[in-house]
Formats: sequence, C-alpha cells, structure tokens
Amino acid sequence: MDLLLQLLATGLVVGSIYALCAVGWGLIYGTTLHFHVAHGAVFSLAAYYAWAGQQLLGLPLIVAVVLAILAAALSGLLIDLLLYQQLERRGAIRTTVFISSLGLLIVVENVLAMVFTPDPLRMDIGVLHNAVQLGPVFLTWLHVLAVALAIAGYLALMAFLKRSRAGQAIRAVSSSPEMARTVGIDLGRVHLLTYALGSAIAAPAGIIVAMDVGAEPYRGTTFVLLASVGVIMGGIGSIPGAMVGGVFLGLLENLGVWQIPSEWQSAISFGVFLVFIVVRPRGFFGRRIQSAEI
Amino acid sequence: MTAYLAHYLVMVGIYSILALSLNLLVGYVGIFSLAHAAIYGVGAYASALVALHLGLGFWGGLVVAAVAGACAAALVAIPSLRVAGDYYIVASFGLQVVLLTVFMNWTDVTNGHAGLPGIPRPRVFGWVVDTPFEYVALALALAALTYAICHRLTHSAFGRVLQAIRDDEIAAAAMGKNVVLNKIVIATISSALGALAGSLYAHYITYINPSSFALHESIFIMSLVILGGSDRLAGPLVGAFILLAVPEALKFLAIPDTVAAPMRQVLYGALLIIFMFVRPEGILGRARPKALEPPPVTSHAIG
Amino acid sequence: MPSASGPIITVQGVSKAFGGIQAVDDCTFDVAPRLITGLIGPNGAGKTTIFNLITGFLRPDRGSVRFKGEELVGLPPHEVERRGVARTFQHLRLWNKMTVLDNVLLGCQSPVGENALTLFLRPAAVRAQEARDRARALEVLEFFGLRHQAHELAEDLAYPEQKLLSMARIFATDAEVLLLDEPTSGFDADSLRRVIPIVRRLVEHGKTVLLIEHNMELISQLSDEVVFLHQGHVLARGAPATITRDPALTEIYFGI
Repeated sequence: MDLLLQLLATGLVVGSIYALCAVGWGLIYGTTLHFHVAHGAVFSLAAYYAWAGQQLLGLPLIVAVVLAILAAALSGLLIDLLLYQQLERRGAIRTTVFISSLGLLIVVENVLAMVFTPDPLRMDIGVLHNAVQLGPVFLTWLHVLAVALAIAGYLALMAFLKRSRAGQAIRAVSSSPEMARTVGIDLGRVHLLTYALGSAIAAPAGIIVAMDVGAEPYRGTTFVLLASVGVIMGGIGSIPGAMVGGVFLGLLENLGVWQIPSEWQSAISFGVFLVFIVVRPRGFFGRRIQSAEI
Repeated sequence: MTAYLAHYLVMVGIYSILALSLNLLVGYVGIFSLAHAAIYGVGAYASALVALHLGLGFWGGLVVAAVAGACAAALVAIPSLRVAGDYYIVASFGLQVVLLTVFMNWTDVTNGHAGLPGIPRPRVFGWVVDTPFEYVALALALAALTYAICHRLTHSAFGRVLQAIRDDEIAAAAMGKNVVLNKIVIATISSALGALAGSLYAHYITYINPSSFALHESIFIMSLVILGGSDRLAGPLVGAFILLAVPEALKFLAIPDTVAAPMRQVLYGALLIIFMFVRPEGILGRARPKALEPPPVTSHAIG
Repeated sequence: MPSASGPIITVQGVSKAFGGIQAVDDCTFDVAPRLITGLIGPNGAGKTTIFNLITGFLRPDRGSVRFKGEELVGLPPHEVERRGVARTFQHLRLWNKMTVLDNVLLGCQSPVGENALTLFLRPAAVRAQEARDRARALEVLEFFGLRHQAHELAEDLAYPEQKLLSMARIFATDAEVLLLDEPTSGFDADSLRRVIPIVRRLVEHGKTVLLIEHNMELISQLSDEVVFLHQGHVLARGAPATITRDPALTEIYFGI
C-alpha cells in the first residue's frame, strides 16, 4: 500500500512535468497547427539557460530560473519569427514547416552536445534537494515545487486565455483562423504570442528536470514526443485535456512499475496510447473529429 | 582504400533500401514515420535470430525479416491510420521507442546492449558472400530489386491511388477509393521492404546491437528521403549517395569522435533547414511535396 | 429489383445539426431514376449538407437514405460511391498536379491494378485492365469534350473545363446516380451553352442526376423535377415551371 502511494506521488510529479510540456506544445499545435517538434529544443535550451545562469554567471538560483524562462519564451518566439513565418511567407506548407522544425531540433540538441558534452550538467539547488515526508510518501522539495508550478502555470494560462484580450485572440485563432482574420486579428502576432507563451510554460519543466538530474542535450526530443502523446490523449485543442493527458502519462508510467519492471515503462505508455486512439481518437476532452470542409 | 570504398557502397545499398521504402510513405502518401530505424532493427534481429537458432539461410532470413517488419508496422498502422491527421507521426515514434526498448531489455532473446555476435555471412546460390566486393554486388542487387518493386508499386493504378490520397483524401474517397486500407497497405509494404535492409546489414556486419537502430537513425533516413527529393523514385538514392559520403569526408578532418558524431548531426539538421528555404522539393524533386494536409479538425477552440 | 418507375434514392426524415444550428431538418424527398432532379433553395438552405449526408461524408443525426432500397447511412464515402452514388464538389477538388487523363482514370475502378498483391501476381491482367481503363477514360473525355486536353495538367484547364473534368471523373466511376454540386456556377453564356447539353445527355447514358443549382432561370433548362429546400426542410417539389412561378417560393428565394 505504501509503495502504491509512493508510486502515485512520483507519478503525479512526473506527470506534472509532462503536463507543463504538453500544455505548451498543445497550445502551439492547437493555435498554429504546426507540428512543432523544435519545442523539444526549447525544452533543452531552458535547462541550459538555467544552468548557465547559475554556474557560469553566478546568479542566484531564482534569478537564473526566471531569466531562463524568459529566454526560453524568447527562443520560442524567435523560432516562429525567423523560421516558420519566413517559410510561410514563401508559401511553405505544413510539411515544410515540420521538416524545418525537425532540422532545428537536431541542430540545437547536437550543438549543445558538442559544446557541453552529452553528459548531464549538475545544478546546485540547495535545500530543494531535501526530502519531505507526507505520511508514508517521500518526495523532495523540488518535486513538490514541480506539482505546484504545474498547477499555477495551468491556472495562470487558463485565466490569461479567458480574461485578457490577447488570450481571447489566441482562442479565436485556434477555433477559426479565417474568422479571426476577418475580425481584424493579426495572425502573425497571435502566433508569436502563442509561441512565447507555450515556450514559457514548458520551460519550467525542462529546468526542473535539469535541477533534479542535470541538464542533458537530447532530453527534449523524448519530452516533446511525450507531450504530443499527452495532447492527443487529452484531446487536440484542449488545454485542460493536455494537462490531464500529461498527468495521466506520468501516473501510467509510474503505476505501471508496480507490476511491471521499470525498463518497460515507455512500452506501457505507448501501448495505452495505441489503445486510446482506437477507442477514443478525440481524447478525453477533444471535440468529435469532423471531416474537413467539403 | 578499396575496402573503404566497398564498405561505403554496401552502406549506400543498405540505406538506399531504407530510403526507398520510407519514401513510399513520405513521398507517395504523405505520411511521416519516425519508426523506420526500429523496423530496420526488427529485420536485423529477426533474420539474425533465425540464422543463429534455426540455421535458416540468407533468403529465408530475408523473408522472415520482411514478415516481421510488416507485422510490427501493421500493429501501429491499423489503429493510427484509421484516424486522419498527424497521429501517425506520434504513433510511429511510439513504435520506435517500444521496439528499441524490446531490443535492449528482452535480454533472453536479443542479448540486450551486448547484442548478437556471430551472425553468419550470407550464402547465395551455394557460395558464401564474404569478400567486400561480393557484398557490394549483393547489396546493390537487393537495392535494385527494391527499386524495381517500388517502381512497380508507384507506376501503376495502385500508385495513382496513393498519390490521389496524398493530394486529396476526400476526393479519393469520393471516387470510391478506400483511403484507410490503402494507407495501411502501403505502410506495411514500406516496413517489409525496410526490414530487408536490416537483414542485409546483420549478415554484413555479422554483429548487431540496439544502438544501430535508435531514433536519430530514423531521422537520418528521413533526411535522405527529403534531401534527395521525395516526389521522385530516384530521389532517396541520390540522398543516400551524398549524405553517406559526409561522415566519410569528416573522417579526413582530424576531429575527435565525441565531437564528430554530433557535428554530423548538426550538418544534417542544418541541411534540412536550408533545403526548406531554397529547395523544399529536394535535390531531384520537381514540385513541392504536397503532404501533411491540415488535420481534419475544422475547429478546435482552445479552452 | 425495384420497378423502373420507383425512386432510386429515398431521403427520409434526415436531420443534421452543427452545434446549435439545424442545417437539415426532417428532410424527406426522393429521386426518380433517369431524370434530372434539381435541388434549389436560398443560401444556407442545406443543399450541400444534403449531398454530404447522402454520400457518407456526414452522418445524419436522424433519418435514412436509401439507394434502391439499401440503407446508405453508416457506410463510409467510398462504399457509398461503390454502391453507385457519386458526387462532385463545389470546390471541385481535382488532382491539380495530375493530368486530365489521370484524373479520369482515378474514377475507374481497377480492382486488379489497385491491389498491391495482384499487381505483382497477375501482370498480364493488370496490363489488360490498364489498357481497358485508358480506352474508357478517353471515351469519357470525348463525351465531355476534353479529349484533346487529356495530357494537360488539371490545373492548366480553364474553369469551365475543370468543372467538366470533375463531372467526367465521376461519370467514369460507372455510378448510376450522379450528384452534381453547382455544375454551372461561375459560367459565362458560352460555357453554359456548352455544358447544359452535356448534363442533359447524362440521362441518355442511363444516369440519374441530382444537382444543386443557384440560378432560378437555369433550373428549368437543367432539370425535370425540382426540390425546393428552405432552412433544411423541403418546402415544395414539382415541375420546374411550377416552382419557379410560385410567388411565395420566389419571395423566400430572393429574400424579399
């Protein structure tokens, strides 16, 4: 029983990290329809920004983290501005954008590996490494922080999308780009904002993992693809769906360990994913998939 | 130097098979797969295992490899291609991860990280292929056979239907074409052919381990297709010839291995980006690829 | 076999809502074989939605669609087409990068050549079928007056010719019922003179035509029977002359 609770707690922590990544990716995918795999590059970069802020510039941890999140948001924005929007201006179709995104992911991760070696770079996180005991469950403060950040990030994003004018513009574009354009919304600017937001919300996920086990160059690839799995399970276009999908994945991986050896974790997640697209292709919260305009 | 050239040509043969078969999906129906390296691995493990344990010969191994590759892909294609959209990218990535996990952790069968040594050299029509140049001949012959099969598939009513599906699924369905079935069939064929390359590789190197079949290998095969030009059958061949020469060229610059490997990847990634700006249709391509239509979700409001 | 005079298509109590909007509301009508039936009504009357509901691209919330007595609701679009009900699209959806001939060849059902297995196992049968299909496709193009353009790309045709090609494509499928979505919209007088007789002659080839038409004046030239649709519901049906002269319907149509 205690083991189960421990696995549940760990699953929630891992799930929170997946959820942040998935919410960011899902926001971008739902709004721009770009299959933005370079989101993984932003995820990895965020970790290295935080590491560099603390270890190279000697900034206090909290300052390094905040700056890293801002830098990640800027990176996401620049990817759209300098890569995707330039390609689209030349009449690129979705495939072209996807391939350039894949290319960028490869470039960024391998440059990081060349410069910093593929080995993990440790950060100094002080008391955050200390254990907390919640009944029979042991976590570190960092793990608790991860869950808190996921909840806070999610609530802040939802409030922003519902309340602010800019957030409403994002929702308008995601429900119908043509309609949004006719009411005078500048699609390019909305895309930039979406990229900044989606990157900023995923950045803490990358940073937390780096604080926990060190920054690694190739981790982003795995996380972005897990994020896409979470988004599909939750329902494309639904932010609560992405959140639930991410948490679900984390729980699944960890609860699976209860009965199945841990090296088969990923196999469990994807097995469930395949079952999922058969029985519920629109995910937990997605709309029914209608055929395209005929 | 000649042994060096022979090795290069064998690898060109193997990667030509991989790229030609992946292009059936990417170029002819516009479906992106990130699992081709794992399928390549399935072919390699399947034929290595039947050779080591059952003593099955080279041709038998090829057949087993193709069947295994087809089954692995069908497992994912049948659920995920039933729904239109970007699902297959994600599902194929899942397949890649799961298969690699199997290669690494099903130690009783695959011997895990240590891999399978001692795979016999192929015996073709009674004589053992073991000199480099004999192997070049075998690899290129199999690549030519794959090319012939792909040519037959694409230059036919079947190929016409695939391209029709790629360009407009709705119109294809309106003409009575079973879009889902055709996609599943071509995904399965593509994997069966890709697995042949694995068999060829296993018998050539005589040793396999999971590291040859990782995700970056899938992305590399995709790069061969895209840079070579996905709308022409010969595009992926050109991609294989050119991109496989890159690491060989890098060897002449005295760069330590730890840097050379990521540097090569950076180069491939950069080429992908540059090509999307200057020549999205690839080296041999005629027109811009028409794949990856918007997913059929007309509205999905965020919230 | 239903008698020749019985309806070939029966739409019975079909409804479809999108969100809160009732696009098609308890719609009932039938289509007589070997005649041209015109589906008219103001914008947003649900005409194209009806096409999508008949051909399986949309599934009705309620109601049934029968072809020669067989239920079509629940069949995927390609199965509906194979039963013998084919449709064109308002936005044509041609394969623009393919030749005119290939567009028509895609209408042909080629079970041997389209099967990846028989493609290798029965090369002679495949060759024979491809030759038959080509001959047939060229015949079809001849009928639509496009034969001389067989090897041009679909995107290089003029608009009226593209529209003819979209009809040729489904004519080649051998479907008995052809659903034409606005076959003459956007045409000048010359093109109309060219296309109208072709549509009329489809019936001589044993086809049943259901078409959507916007132009009240053209409807009597194009069709034998008219179904008038308003807010997703059948308001009237009858001979074109009766419908077009009905002042109440004209009022609805022009929104006066």
